[in-house]
Amino acid sequence: MRNFSEKIRKIGFRLAHPDILFWVLPFMILVLVVGTIAQKDLGILVAEQRYFSSFFYFLGFVPLPGGLTLITILFINLLAKFLFRSEWSWTKSGIILTHFGVLVLILGGGLTYLTSHEGYVMIGEGEKSSIVEDYHQRVLVIKDAENIIYQMPFEKLHEGQNIRSPSGNFTITLTEVCQNCGITRRPESEQEGWTSPGQFMKLNDKAADPVDEKNMAGLEFEIHGLGAEADGKYLTFDKFPKPPQFKSVQQKDVTYTIAVERAKRTLPFGLSLKKFEQTFHPGTDMAKTYQSELVITDGDKAWPVLIEMNEPFRYRGYTFYQSSFDISGDKPYTVLTAVENKGRIFPYLSTIIIALGLILHLCIRIRSRRSAHA
Amino acid sequence: MLKYILMMVMLIWSCAAHAASDLPMDDFAKLPILHEGRIKPIDSFARIEILKFSKKEKLENENAVSWLVRALFDPAEAAHDKIFLIDDTEARHLLGLEERKKPLYSYAELVPGLEKTSRQVEEILRQQDRQKDTSSEKLLSVHENALEYTHILRSFSSVLPLNIDLSPEWRSKADISASEQITFKDLQKIGTEIEERVRKIIRKKGQNPATYTKAEQDLVTIGWQLKTISDAGQRNRLLRVIPINDDAKYASPWELINEGKGSPATEDIMQKWIALSAAWQTKDVQAWNAALEDLKAEHSGDATRLEMEVLYNQFSLFHIAIIFYACSLCFAFAYLAGLHQSLFKISYGFLLIAIFMQMIAIAMRIYLMERPPVGTLYESILFVGLIAPVVSLFVERRLQNGLGILSGAICGVMLGLLASSMIGEGDDMKMLGAVLNTRFWLATHVLCITIGYGWCLLTSVLAHIILFGTATRRIAEPARMEMVKALTTHALFSLLFTTVGTILGGIWADQSWGRFWGWDPKENGALLIVLWLIWLIHGKIAGQISRTIWLAGMGYLSVIVAVAWIGVNLLGVGLHSYGFIDGVFWGLGLFAMAEFIIIGFLVYKINLSEEKKIAD
Repeated sequence: MRNFSEKIRKIGFRLAHPDILFWVLPFMILVLVVGTIAQKDLGILVAEQRYFSSFFYFLGFVPLPGGLTLITILFINLLAKFLFRSEWSWTKSGIILTHFGVLVLILGGGLTYLTSHEGYVMIGEGEKSSIVEDYHQRVLVIKDAENIIYQMPFEKLHEGQNIRSPSGNFTITLTEVCQNCGITRRPESEQEGWTSPGQFMKLNDKAADPVDEKNMAGLEFEIHGLGAEADGKYLTFDKFPKPPQFKSVQQKDVTYTIAVERAKRTLPFGLSLKKFEQTFHPGTDMAKTYQSELVITDGDKAWPVLIEMNEPFRYRGYTFYQSSFDISGDKPYTVLTAVENKGRIFPYLSTIIIALGLILHLCIRIRSRRSAHA
Repeated sequence: MLKYILMMVMLIWSCAAHAASDLPMDDFAKLPILHEGRIKPIDSFARIEILKFSKKEKLENENAVSWLVRALFDPAEAAHDKIFLIDDTEARHLLGLEERKKPLYSYAELVPGLEKTSRQVEEILRQQDRQKDTSSEKLLSVHENALEYTHILRSFSSVLPLNIDLSPEWRSKADISASEQITFKDLQKIGTEIEERVRKIIRKKGQNPATYTKAEQDLVTIGWQLKTISDAGQRNRLLRVIPINDDAKYASPWELINEGKGSPATEDIMQKWIALSAAWQTKDVQAWNAALEDLKAEHSGDATRLEMEVLYNQFSLFHIAIIFYACSLCFAFAYLAGLHQSLFKISYGFLLIAIFMQMIAIAMRIYLMERPPVGTLYESILFVGLIAPVVSLFVERRLQNGLGILSGAICGVMLGLLASSMIGEGDDMKMLGAVLNTRFWLATHVLCITIGYGWCLLTSVLAHIILFGTATRRIAEPARMEMVKALTTHALFSLLFTTVGTILGGIWADQSWGRFWGWDPKENGALLIVLWLIWLIHGKIAGQISRTIWLAGMGYLSVIVAVAWIGVNLLGVGLHSYGFIDGVFWGLGLFAMAEFIIIGFLVYKINLSEEKKIAD
């Protein structure tokens, strides 16, 4: 037992060595610089996934540790330092406190990374919604009327894949899958077997846009098993206003819709938009504020709230903030970003701890210098 | 069209040819105008406009306000002012302008070139990625400036006397006596009738004026002139000087006519402006002052604020502060060169005065903008330019050898010059967009991170001085040790402010957008400074790097700060993007390279002398 604890101590001591930090930090600086510059071409989302939320990445042909690996090593090193190599004295109290603050910060970051969800709610004036749509995650859905009977994340789809409907009465074979589709005219020689609009429109895979929201995910597919009337070739894509619909031969009253949509989550409460308002700096078209007057409905309770720039609304673990709007149509629409983050308290705690730690360390340092001079 | 506009400008009666230039302009400078979302004194408006056109705050022999008055009340003459600085050779070539020693051109000279290049400009506007081509940008900017200038020239075209002949019949219909001067506004009463008569003539005789009688020709000419003036007044909203209600809303004279914003109250105010114009044209000082008094009385807002802004413009405290920083720098050098002991006090005095002036100027800006001092890149430079010299006072207090003053003065001069180079971008008291419209976070996160930048820059300059002193053996070992200790303390302060500032930025993001960290380039830039400092501090503690390399790293902190502060904005990505600025990109690259060479050379010299020492 004593040997074991001695071994643990030895490992802990090694893991706590400052040379680990010294060698990890340049790699961290490198990934930060490379990942930031890459955002110009890749956009924030892809750059984040490739460099900051990955275990490794390639710089040219050289594999290098990604953000996750580096933060994990840093956390282990700091934890080991905190537990095994801290000098528990008054003169070092500032440093210990600062290190503890950084540990809290990384822990919070980890919790946020694992548990947070971000999406948006779009509501027209006078309308109600409790649906949060994901900014990035697209899904293939099969609907029976308005009910989703099947869905699959878009990134799991591939060409040649066969998908059997849950009712088992038809099969979809994917012939084209594109994360960002371009639309061209289908040549006459290829139009046979296609139903409109696929008869004239053709989806082509094109380079992804750095701003992921602009990418138009789409599919071309064949349907089998619904009878001669419905079997054929179809296409659908993200935000397509008229996704393909078919009637079942066996159940004439059932209409299936196959669509590519943003992944949706349902909130445990509802939001109704009473009014959306935008104000400008006088005499300019520069926005001063945007604000949405809403009514929140939760069970049999309902109350008004106001969401405006820098003034979000928080309820039941969700934060809603004013992120966009659309006033081009008949009525204004507000776009509220909805974030669910279980780790949001950690940055607050860590700021206080780190600030206190650094101030304490500086005070002790200045005081000891003064007493040395005295 | 542009030719017609120029002709229209010429139409406006040039009886002001003998106008006074010696009328008192102080009160006129303080009149309010709503411009770019803010009520400011006309003095600021005039400076911003002239700066936009000529990259200077005044003409060679005339200040901005006098120029503006002339442009408003005597546009025919102002169209010949050589006011447009076109410093791009290709743009000059495209516009067909002759080469001159000073590339300043008048609006009248530009007109043929503007017409010639209008298609090209339409093409440039259609291009999405138009920042990259400097000449296209310059050409576009000339067109935009010329359009803005025409708006100024035409601001009062509705009420200025016109140089047109009107028959007694029409004069009587418009209630204008034979001795009275004619204005567009007077002719509005008979505008519809003239229009109708012209239409009839064209219907009857076609469009060839040769077939018209003399009376018909005169009528068609008047109709055409009225239409030209009216068309030219469309969308002329630049000179918003007429208050239209109590809610700080102002309208331009043409907005009153074209957009129906007029009322009996605005009509009264317009009459006062007409009186002012008449007083200017007749050099009547008494009438001028009386009209100004009347106009001042119409402004219900904060007159003190307007007066304060005029003072702020006139004294230009930031520029004076640069001079004092420069004096402090010179005297500090002289003191360190061992000339005289009293030079230290003089240098210290200059530094204190410069800091005081910068403080006053920033306080004035806070009062004028009613928000914390930093909201734009320019403002952050001004603030960092204050923080670094203030921190240098602490350094001097500890070292007491003049090097603290030297580092503060270097920061003051460098940052002052950097801020001056940013002034050419227009109004430096811009209104902030919706997302920045929060006083709390501007006062916490933004101030904290900019204090961090300032502290880092001072630390970096101090590191340069230690490296230079060590390489040239001008600093004795005990003093060097003391300076290194001081540097360590300031590196910790830098770390404190940049770390807390960065995390506060995350908390702002969480408060406003529900997420703490979004890998935005600016967030990453701030983190870069923190990581750099942690790396150096821990590398020194762990004995992984030599003291010289540590000093070199602290010296290079200036480049890290510049990249994090200004460089990341050039990517054009994220929430803090200011767009790609070609000059800034190359300036930053040059700065990084120069720092690399300077610091590298000093490290090489130090290593060489240490090797020599060991060998001896």
